[in-house]
Order: sequence, then C-alpha cells, then structure tokens
Amino acid sequence: MRGLWVSIKLIIPSTLFGLAIGIVIGAMRVYGNYGIKKIASGYALVFRGFPLVVQLFIWYFGLPYIGIYLSPFVAAVLGFSLCSGAYHSEYVRGAFLSVKTGQMMAARALGFSKIKMVVFVTLPQAFRRALPGCGNEVIYLIKYSSLAYMITCIELTGEGKIIASDTFRYTETFIVIGAIYLVLASIASWLLHRLEYRLQLPGFEQYT
Amino acid sequence: MADTIPILHVENMTKRYGDKEVLKDASLSINKGELKVLIGPSGGGKSTFLQCINFLIKPDQGRIWLDGEEIFRSRKKEINRYRQKVGMIFQDFNLFDHLTALHNVQIALVQVKGMSRSQARDTAILELDRVGLTNYMHQYPAELSGGQKQRVSIARALAMDPEILLLDEPTSALDPELISEVLDVIRYVRSDGMTMIMSTHQIGFASEMADEFVFLENGSIVETGPPATILSQAQHARTREFCAKISELYGNTFG
Repeated sequence: MRGLWVSIKLIIPSTLFGLAIGIVIGAMRVYGNYGIKKIASGYALVFRGFPLVVQLFIWYFGLPYIGIYLSPFVAAVLGFSLCSGAYHSEYVRGAFLSVKTGQMMAARALGFSKIKMVVFVTLPQAFRRALPGCGNEVIYLIKYSSLAYMITCIELTGEGKIIASDTFRYTETFIVIGAIYLVLASIASWLLHRLEYRLQLPGFEQYT
Repeated sequence: MADTIPILHVENMTKRYGDKEVLKDASLSINKGELKVLIGPSGGGKSTFLQCINFLIKPDQGRIWLDGEEIFRSRKKEINRYRQKVGMIFQDFNLFDHLTALHNVQIALVQVKGMSRSQARDTAILELDRVGLTNYMHQYPAELSGGQKQRVSIARALAMDPEILLLDEPTSALDPELISEVLDVIRYVRSDGMTMIMSTHQIGFASEMADEFVFLENGSIVETGPPATILSQAQHARTREFCAKISELYGNTFG
C-alpha cells in the first residue's frame, strides 16, 4: 500500500498550506484596502471557479511551456493547496466578519496596528468560528487528493486503478479503496473535533 | 499650576456623514488632572466627538495637540503612539472575548508597548487589583458581569499608563445595580489625578466630580461651564431644559 502513504503525504501538507493560504486570503478580503480586497477576491473567484483537474493539468502540463518543471507530487500539492486555500478563505472571511467590531475599535484605541489587531485579536476568535467549516473543506481535500493520479502522481486511487486493471477485480478493489478514504476521513473528522474541543473557551461553545 | 499648556487641545473638530454634520467645529482644552463631562441628548455628537479625539472616527476637519505637540493623522505610526497615551473606555466594554481578564489587560502591554511577558503580567495583576478584580483575573469575559467587564476594560486602559482617559458613557449599558461599582472605580481613578473626558447621563455623579460640563447638541457645543452653573443658571434655554429633565431622572446633588 505505497499509494496510501503517497496520499497521506499529499493530504497533510496540502491541508496545512491550504489553511495558511485561506487565512491570509480571508484576512485580505476582510481587512485589506480596495486593491488588496480585489486581488484576494479575484484569487478566490479563479481558484474556486476553475475545475480542480484543470488546475492540476495547468500546473503539471502547462508550466513546462514557460520552463517550469514540477514533479507530479509537487504539482499536486501546489494545486490542492491553492484550490483548498480559496475555499478556506471563504469560511475564514465569514468568521472574521462575525467578530464584533467593538473589539477592533478597542484594539485600535490601545494602539494596535491593523496587522497586530488581526493576528492577536480577531484571528484567534475567527479561527475558532471557522473551524467547523474549514474541517469540512479538509474532508473534501482528502477525497479530491484522488485526482493526483490524473497527473501521474500514483497515490491510493492510482494504485487501485493499476491493481484493478491487473486483476480485473474492479469492484473489490474500489470498495477497499473507498473504505480506506472513509477511514481517513473519519480520522480527520475525529481529530478536528478534538481540536475544536481543545480550543473551546467560555463564550465560544460549539457544543451546548 | 505652573503648567499652562493644556494636556490636550482639540480645535474645530468637524465630522460629516453625507450631508449630515454630526459634529460641528467642536473645540475643547483640558489641563492635567481635570475632568470634563460631555452631556447632551443621545445622537448629539458626544460619542462621535470622543471617537474623533483618538481618530477611531476620522474627522473631516480639526486639529489635536497633546502636550503642546500637534498630532498628524496621516502618519499611522504616530497615531498608534498617540493612542497609547489616550485611553478609551467604551459603553459596551469591548473586551477581547477569547482572552481572560488578565490577558485582556496584558496583551497590549506585550504587543504594543513591547514589555516582557512577565513584566506585563505583573502590571496587569496590579491594575486588576486596583479595580478590585484580583479574584476574577482568570475568568473569560463571558463569565463576568457587566460591571466586572467594565472594570477590566478600565484596568486595560490604565495599564497602558495613558495621559488622558476618554470614557464614552461607561455606565449606560449596565444594570442599575452594577453602576455604582463602576462609578466607584472612576471616582478612585479621578482621585489618583487622571485627566478624563467622559460622556454620561449620570448627572448627579458627574456634577459631584467634574470640573466642567460641556453641553453638546446636534453636533455643536452649546455651552460650557462649571457643573453648578450649567445645572442651575445655564445661559441657553435648551441647556436648562435638558438639565431639568435629566436631573429629574438621574438625581441631582445641587437640588
């Protein structure tokens, strides 16, 4: 099951980069000046609008035309992170908007710069509120990581396809592959719940 | 006092929203240790005036001097430095919801003033002690009463060691029973010599504490004077009318 290992190696960095991109783009969309907002919103529009497979094709097959050669693995992580980041940015944006404006005024009145205000006052609150939505996106990512085999990065699904065409046992193979994704998604979901629980504070209860 | 330069001088502050002028040519000077109280009907411009003073609202016109030095609002760093010297208390407290009382007081000391964490913690503990909340320092805002939240916010502002404190209706969002604990803290801060500009409807408390009343209506300063004069022999009919009404409601120590 080398494929499973490749899948995990795709999913973990893509999740982390995706989340980081989502937070930065989300913050830019809420707190940026006119130009920054437009750029960040444009990013979200394009990366949510292009089909992910097309994005992967562009990174892997398109970039060589301008002299940039990426390995299948790097192209996949890049594609997943950028696309996932665009979706995360939407959850993060909503969460930033839910932080009461009075707290931002209080931060500014204490002399916080805008960036410090975002990092120390609004982000810790927004992150907690965005977590359920972002978790949803992580679960999606686990499953769309299967698209990596389209650009010859042989992960779980790709390996399954090879095994299936060697043995002609398509049904059995893909039921097993599907079950492995189910297990991965369940583990992720459990971890996300743990994280939500760990970050819970009075006034930020998710479970009542 | 030998010190003749006012600690804060505000000149011709004007703010418009579209065609509506919510603040018209408001000027004010305050000396070290004074307390000036803004009174007037809601929507009269008190909050706008206070928020223009620390540039939370960008005034359309107006100049500000702190300790004789003009503050230029085009320079962001200068504004952030100026804001550290001008504390602000809000009507609805505006504590940071994700931080305990202690960390609410501590965070700006570390992130804005650049204090070490341990030093900031000591200062924060001291300030919370001054407002009588030593036993509550590990509670989150959601676990505190309104009066306690406002006391934390006062501690948070005082910890920055400001030269002047702006208080925007500090007791208006509180249950009647919780008002006095906040007023006691304000009284204590005042006795410590803090310079303050406060807007309030607590006319009894204000007249006992204030050096001067400033009556604001429709964005203009109608009249200023010592509390006793404003309350009993105001020049303008409108001031007299407002004071009579509000004294009836909130009590008036001058009878």
